[in-house]
Amino acid sequence: MSSNAPRSIDDYLEQLRAALEGEDPALIQDALYDAEEYLRAEVAAHPDKSEPDVLELIASTYGAPDEVAAAYRDTEVKVKAALRTPARAAADHESGARRFFGVFLDPRAYLSLFYMLLTLATGIAYFTFVVTGLSLSAGLAILIIGVPFFLAFVGIARVISLGEGRLLEAITGERMPRRPVHPGPRTSWWSRIGAMLTDTRTWTTLLYFLIMLPLGIIYFVSAIVGLSIGGRLAIAPLVLIGRHAGWLGEHLSLFDITVGSHYWSVPSAGSVLGSLLLCALGIVILTLLMHAARGIARAHVRLAKALLVEPGA
Amino acid sequence: MDDSQARKFQKDLNAGLVALVLLAVLAASSEDLYGYEIAKRLQKASAADALFKEGTIYPVLRALSAAGLLTSRVVPSYAGPPRRYYRITDEGRDLLKEWRRIWRHTRDFVNRFTEGTPP
Repeated sequence: MSSNAPRSIDDYLEQLRAALEGEDPALIQDALYDAEEYLRAEVAAHPDKSEPDVLELIASTYGAPDEVAAAYRDTEVKVKAALRTPARAAADHESGARRFFGVFLDPRAYLSLFYMLLTLATGIAYFTFVVTGLSLSAGLAILIIGVPFFLAFVGIARVISLGEGRLLEAITGERMPRRPVHPGPRTSWWSRIGAMLTDTRTWTTLLYFLIMLPLGIIYFVSAIVGLSIGGRLAIAPLVLIGRHAGWLGEHLSLFDITVGSHYWSVPSAGSVLGSLLLCALGIVILTLLMHAARGIARAHVRLAKALLVEPGA
Repeated sequence: MDDSQARKFQKDLNAGLVALVLLAVLAASSEDLYGYEIAKRLQKASAADALFKEGTIYPVLRALSAAGLLTSRVVPSYAGPPRRYYRITDEGRDLLKEWRRIWRHTRDFVNRFTEGTPP
C-alpha cells in the first residue's frame, strides 16, 4: 500500500483512474473531476508543505485511490437502482403483441421521438458553431487574438458536449458525464493550446458536432415521414365518417397524393373495410416508428459516448 | 480481531449515515458550500476519528442532488476546476427532519442494548 502511495496529484489521479478501470467512462470522468477539485484545494491550503507531504495527508483524509474508487462504485450502484424505472424488468416475459404495442407506454420512446425532431435544430446549431469556430480560429491564428479565441471555442464546445450528454441521459437513461472534462493545471496558453490540439477528444467532439447535421436531417425526416404517413392512415375511419356526415368536403381527400404529374390515390379508403385496414396499417406504422425511435436513440447515445466521452477517459 | 471485519462493519453502518450527515451540515450552514469545504467542516468536527473518508462524500452529494434534495451551482475557481456549490432544498429539509427522527429512534434503541441492560 504505502510502497506505491501517490507522490503527486497527477500520480493520484492516475492511480484512481487505474482503480476504476472497467467502470463506465462517464463515472470515471466524474470521479477524477471530484478528486482533482479536492486535491488542488488541499495543496493550495497548505502552501508551506510540499506536494508529496500533502498527498500523504490526503490518503488519511480523502482516502487512498482504491478506497475512493470503491465509494464511487457503491454509490453508483445504489443510485442506479433507485432511479431505474421498474417497468423494464416486466417486459421480458410478456407476449409478442403486448411487447410490440407496449412501446406506447414507454416514456423513453416519446422522448426519443422528440429527440429525433430536435436534432435538426441542434444539428444545424452545432454544425454552424463548429464551422464558424474553426474557420475563425484558422483565420485569426496569425493574430495574437487567435489563441484565446481557439481556447474559448474548444471550451464552449466542451460545455455544449456536456449539455448534449445530459440531454441524451435524460432521454435514454445511459450514464453520461455530470462534470466537464477538467482542463488540467493552469499552465501557459501555449502549452494548453498544445494539449487541446493533441487531445483526441477535442477532435472527436468537433466531429460529433459536424455529423450531427446530416444525422439530424435523417432523424427529422424519418420522424416526420413516419408520423405523417402513419397519422394519415390511422385517422382513415374518422375521415370516412367526417365525409359522410358532411363535415369534410367531397373534394377534400386525405388519401390522394400528387407529385408533379404523378398521381396516386387509395380508392378503397372510401369503404368501411378499406378505411379500417388503412387505420390498422397506420397504427402499425406508428408503432414501428416508436420502436425505431427508441432504437435510434440507443444507437445514437452509443455514438455520442464513443465520440464525446471515451477517448479521454 | 480482524481489522477488515471492523472496517466492513463501519462501512455497512455508514451506508445511510453519510447522506444524513451531509444533509445536516448543509442545513446548518447559512451559505452554500462546495465539496472541499464540507469535507473540511467534517474534519474539524471529528478531529482524528472521522467515520468516513472525505472522498466518499462527493458521489453521495451528487446522488442527493440528483434526488432533488440539494440544488447546486458552479462557480469558477482559481485553485483548480470550477467548484460546485450545494444548498439544501425544502424537500431536503423535510426529509432531514424525518431522518433525524429515525436516527434518534435507532440510536436510543441500539443504546438500550449495547450500553445498558435491556429492560
